[in-house]
Amino acid sequence: MKNRFKKVLSLALAGVMSVSMLAGCGKGDSADGSASKSGKDSVKIGVLVADVSGEEAIGFRNYYEKYIQENYDVTFDYTDALESAEDEKSAIEKFASKGYDAIISLSSSDRAQQIETCEEYGVYYAIASGVLDEEQYETYKGYEHFVGQIGPSNETEFEAGKAMGEHFKSQGVSKVAIYGAFIPNPMHVYRAAGVIAGLGDTYGGTDDMNGMIGQIFGDQAIDLSKIEGDVEVVAYLQGYGDTTTDELNAAIQKAPDAFLSVGMATTFFAQTLSQNDIQFADIDSFTEMNLDSMTNGTLTYLAGKYSSSIGPVFALVMNAVNGNVIRDNDGNAVSLSQGYLVATDVDSFNQYYVTDNGDTPIYDKESLDSIIGDSVTFENIKTLVESK
Amino acid sequence: MSTPKRIIHTLAIPVLVAVVLELLCLTQGQNIITNAKSFDNFVVYTAIVMITTMALSINLNSGRFDFSLGSMAALSSVIGAQITYSLMAGQKGSSFVMLIITLIVGVVLGLISGGIYVILRLPPIITSLGVTLIYEGILYTLTSGKYVMKTVQNNSMSAFVSTWVYAFIIITVVLIFMIVVFEKTTFGYDYLALKSGQKVAINTGIKEVKNALICYGICGGLMGIVGFLNAARNTTINGGQLNFGSIAIMFTAFLPMFIGGYIGGYCNEKVGYLLAAVCMSLLNSTFAVFSNQVTASTQSIINAVLLVVFLIYLNNNNLIKRLFRP
Repeated sequence: MKNRFKKVLSLALAGVMSVSMLAGCGKGDSADGSASKSGKDSVKIGVLVADVSGEEAIGFRNYYEKYIQENYDVTFDYTDALESAEDEKSAIEKFASKGYDAIISLSSSDRAQQIETCEEYGVYYAIASGVLDEEQYETYKGYEHFVGQIGPSNETEFEAGKAMGEHFKSQGVSKVAIYGAFIPNPMHVYRAAGVIAGLGDTYGGTDDMNGMIGQIFGDQAIDLSKIEGDVEVVAYLQGYGDTTTDELNAAIQKAPDAFLSVGMATTFFAQTLSQNDIQFADIDSFTEMNLDSMTNGTLTYLAGKYSSSIGPVFALVMNAVNGNVIRDNDGNAVSLSQGYLVATDVDSFNQYYVTDNGDTPIYDKESLDSIIGDSVTFENIKTLVESK
Repeated sequence: MSTPKRIIHTLAIPVLVAVVLELLCLTQGQNIITNAKSFDNFVVYTAIVMITTMALSINLNSGRFDFSLGSMAALSSVIGAQITYSLMAGQKGSSFVMLIITLIVGVVLGLISGGIYVILRLPPIITSLGVTLIYEGILYTLTSGKYVMKTVQNNSMSAFVSTWVYAFIIITVVLIFMIVVFEKTTFGYDYLALKSGQKVAINTGIKEVKNALICYGICGGLMGIVGFLNAARNTTINGGQLNFGSIAIMFTAFLPMFIGGYIGGYCNEKVGYLLAAVCMSLLNSTFAVFSNQVTASTQSIINAVLLVVFLIYLNNNNLIKRLFRP
């Protein structure tokens, strides 16, 4: 009896272990449950995401799942947090095997491989909230299933960082700490280079964008010994893991006048920085939590995208799935840049937040309907994106 | 050994560590503890390391290798955070409520872990690996793999770690609890007997199963406190710790456990763990001073090297003494 009980318990334990391990194996593939929600004619779009916790990521997700999904016959299926190029490839393959119509990527470990994989499986692919670098775009712009990219260009990212640096320099800061988010993610590299340039400092003897980003890519981080200029960078940290709290505490101990982040600080550090009364800046999005940080905390500068800024990419994908694959005037995949909006106080924050909230996003159904259809052209899309 | 000698031996390592690290910091024109904030961090980190070390040592000293400590800390803190937030929505006093709930959940998780071990009678290293995967799986399911932030980011939580007082109280309470339970109770005597000679102890009528379950329960409770302190300190809990991602918490306690065990040879073992935790916290504060020169990965390497060097010293203690004997 006792042995039998032990056997049953062992089997139960093994079963539970298998389930928990399968939960892990499921990383990068959440295309299970929600796939069954879609009707026969519903468009199924897989969304690749590396960040599932950040304010910007949550804002984007709410827009697609709570607004777009309610207003269009479409089902979005998000991956879990993708940590590597392998995860991204695996997720695309699983979406493809389940018959998804298109992939929208918010993950950037290896976008070139993402495009190649989508091309291989014949699934439409678009990049939201970011772009390929020029060389990559030249390589892939003619791919049949690469629909396009709409988001801040690398130059725009650099300028966003630069504007932040210039803002704080004009405020008279003499020493700052910098959070490099997930460098060598290209978006963060460009922003970080911009911040240094904006502060009036040089990196490795140069303040030229290409000269700086080349070195940062090479260093895979910001090397403080390479920064020279009037504004001292007293601490630098990047990534998020077991040692981040210690690194943040070390940065705070150096008493910087401001903490400048190129992404995710509002998610990870808002509480601690506010508690220590250190003003901080970030490049993120206009969300409720960030409004709270600006109202009650020490967030004093936010360069952000509004959550519905990923609306036009959805329109591009819908058109492609419905047979209208839009190309630019040269016959290539669409590539449009979006800028950042900057808030330095609650009023300016609310100006963007209130107008892009819940049921009334900036890219609402009415504006998206104007760029979804058989007769929509590249010019229609470009005009709308540039007008917002 | 005479009392003064014992005191000297007990304090030798912490004092030596403090002096060496302070001299290193002075080369940068700074001190180990630079301001009030760094002292708060120092005490909170000491509490985390001391409690983790004690939790690790309870089972490891009895030959039970427990990989599930980290997963217990993470899971208990997530459950504690979610229950507390649903009750108090981050209002005043929620940190204390979370501490209590997390502690209780930790005890339950520890008892489950111990129950699986005593029922299956498999090697503890195997069952603890299984338990780790199960707890990590539950953690992932509860959080969808996301960082838990909303439920732990409030003024009550940040106030808890913004002063050294609460961490100091926790250190004191845990230290007294551990000394009393393991050295002044029947359970403690049984534990020591089982540790010294399992077969003989069992033959004298000591109930090993009950003793092991209590050990696992205490371990779980301690890791619940660690989970709470980590959540308050980090202002997040990583819900995506799959495939043994939570094991790292346990490894932070290896070096202090060996140092504490060595110091404990001259004083109370639990006090030894406290002093070892102080040493580790001094090292951590020194890393903060050198944060621009010593990266996080280099710090991990330094910790690992120190562990190896200390183990080499422990295993060759007598040989080294002979070398320096006239």
